[in-house]
Amino acid sequence: MMSIGFILPPLVACVLIVLINVYFGIHVIKREIIFIDIALASIAALGSATGIVLFHMDHEAHGFWPYIFSLGFISLASFAFTILRHKKITIPLEAIIGIAYAVATTLTVIILDKGAGGDVHVHDMLVGSILWVSWSQVFKLALTVALVGIFHIIFRKKFTMITDSFHDACKELKRPRLWDFLFYFSFGLVVVEAVSMAGILTVFAFLILPASLSAFIRGGWVAKLISGWSAGIVASFIGLLLSLKLDVPSAPVIIVLLGILLVLSFAWFKLSGKTHARKNLLKYGAE
Amino acid sequence: MLENIIFLLPPIVACIILAGILSYFGNHILTRGIVFIDIAVAQIAALGTMIGILLGFAEESLNTQLISYLFTVVILGFFSLMRVKEQLLPQEAIIGIFYCVALGMALLLADMIPGGSNYITKTITGNVLWVTWKVIINCVILFVPLMIIHLFLGSRVRAVTEGKTGTTINLRQARIYDLVFYITFGVVIVKAVPIMGIFLVFMLLIGPASIARAFVSDWRKRIIWSWIIGSIGSMIGIYLSYKLNISNGPAIVSLVGVAAYLAAFVRLYIDRSEGKKGIISKS
Repeated sequence: MMSIGFILPPLVACVLIVLINVYFGIHVIKREIIFIDIALASIAALGSATGIVLFHMDHEAHGFWPYIFSLGFISLASFAFTILRHKKITIPLEAIIGIAYAVATTLTVIILDKGAGGDVHVHDMLVGSILWVSWSQVFKLALTVALVGIFHIIFRKKFTMITDSFHDACKELKRPRLWDFLFYFSFGLVVVEAVSMAGILTVFAFLILPASLSAFIRGGWVAKLISGWSAGIVASFIGLLLSLKLDVPSAPVIIVLLGILLVLSFAWFKLSGKTHARKNLLKYGAE
Repeated sequence: MLENIIFLLPPIVACIILAGILSYFGNHILTRGIVFIDIAVAQIAALGTMIGILLGFAEESLNTQLISYLFTVVILGFFSLMRVKEQLLPQEAIIGIFYCVALGMALLLADMIPGGSNYITKTITGNVLWVTWKVIINCVILFVPLMIIHLFLGSRVRAVTEGKTGTTINLRQARIYDLVFYITFGVVIVKAVPIMGIFLVFMLLIGPASIARAFVSDWRKRIIWSWIIGSIGSMIGIYLSYKLNISNGPAIVSLVGVAAYLAAFVRLYIDRSEGKKGIISKS
C-alpha cells in the first residue's frame, strides 16, 4: 500500500499528460507533423538557456526570466510554423519543423558549452525524473492542462475543422492562421510544463503511441480519445508500479508497455477487420 | 595559411562527399514526407550496437558493427513492408513510434551496461574535424556501389517516391524498390552518423534539399543544387568555427538551418509580390 501512496503524484502527473497529449496526438498525426513536440521542447530549452545566459542565472532553470524567454521563443516558432505553411512554399512543414529542431538543439549546445556534465544533462532532458515529482509541480501542470484543455473544449469545432482540412485550403473557417497559431502555441505551453517534469521522451511517447493506437479504433473523435486515454492511463499505472518494484527507470517501461498495447490493438484491428469484411461480404453477397 | 588548409582539408572533403550522397537521399525523403527517418535509423543502429555489447563483443569489433547493421536492415525491411494500400497511420507516425520504442529500449539496456548512457548521447555529438583520410576512403568504397545501384534503379525508386504506385508499378514492385531505398539509406546513415554526429547528418539531409526545393522544380537540378548548397554551407561553417573557436557541427547546422528559413521567407515574399503583380495585370 505504501507504494501506491508513493506513486500517486507521478501517476497523477502521467494521467494529466495523457489526457491532454492524446488529444493533441490525434491532431498532430492527422496533420503529419509528429515531431513538433520534440521541436517545441528544444526551442523552449533554447529559450530558457538564452534567459539563463542573458541574466546570469546559475542553476535556476525554472526562474522567471528563463520561463518568459521560453514562452517568447515558442510564440516566435509558432508564428514561423503558421506563416511558412503556405501552398506556394514547396518545403513540407515537417521539414521546417525539423530544421527548427536541429538548429535549436545545436544552438543550446553552443550556448551551454561551458557547462560541465553535458552527458548527464542530455540524459535528464530525455527521460526526466517523473518518479520524484512533487505535488506543487503536479498542481502547476494541472493548471496548465486545465487552461489549455478548457480553451480547446470551447473552440473544439474550429480546431477540428482546421486539422481535418489541414492539407487543403480551409475555406469555411475565418482567420485560419490565427487558429493555427493558437494551436501551436497552446501545445507549446503544455510541452514546456510536461517536459520539465517527465522528459522529452516520455512526453513524446504519450503524444504518439496512444494516439496511434486510437487510429485502429473505428469511430469518431470521442471513441478515439477514450481508447487512447485508457491505454495511456493503464500503461502509466502498471509502468510506474513495475519500475518501482523492479528498480528500473519508469519512462522506458511505460514506453515498452504502450508499444505492446499498440501491437495488440493492431492485431485486434486486423482480425476484427477480416470478420468485419466477411460479414459485409455475406450481407451484400446474399443480396 | 597553407597549414590551415592542410589541416581543414579532410573535414572539408568529408563534408563535400557526404553532402552529395545526403542531398540525393534528402530529396527523396522530402518528397516522401518522412523527414525524421534519419534520427530513427541512427537510434535503431545505436540500439543494435548496445545489443552487440550486451552479447559480449567489444564496441569497435566487427561483430558488433555487423549486428548493428543487421539489426538496422531488418527493422528498415520491416518498415518498408508496412506500405499498404490504405494507410491508416502516416509513415512519419510509424517512424515516430520506431524512434520512441528504440530509444526507450536503449535506455533500458543502458542500465545494464556500465557507462551505458554514453551510448545514448554518443550519437548526438560527433566531430567532423577529426576525420582522417582513411575514414574518407572507407566511405567512398562503401558509397560507390550504393550509387551504382541507384544509378540503375534510380528512375524506378523515384517513381515510387513520387507516389506513382498503381500506374506503372504495382504494390509488390513498389515494396521491393522501397526495400532497396531504405536499406541503402540505412547503410549510409549508419556510416555517416559516427563521423558527423546526428544533427549535422540530419541538417545536410533536409536543409539543402529544402532550399533547392523552394526554388527549383526539376528533380536532377534539385539534387545538384542541394549538393552545392550543402558543400558551400559546410565550408563556410568549418571556416567560421575555426575562426570563432566554436564546434564545427553546431556551426554548420545553424548556418544551413538559418539559410533554409531565410530561403522559405524569401520564397514567400517573392510569391506575394508576384501574386500582387498578377492581380494588377489581370485587372
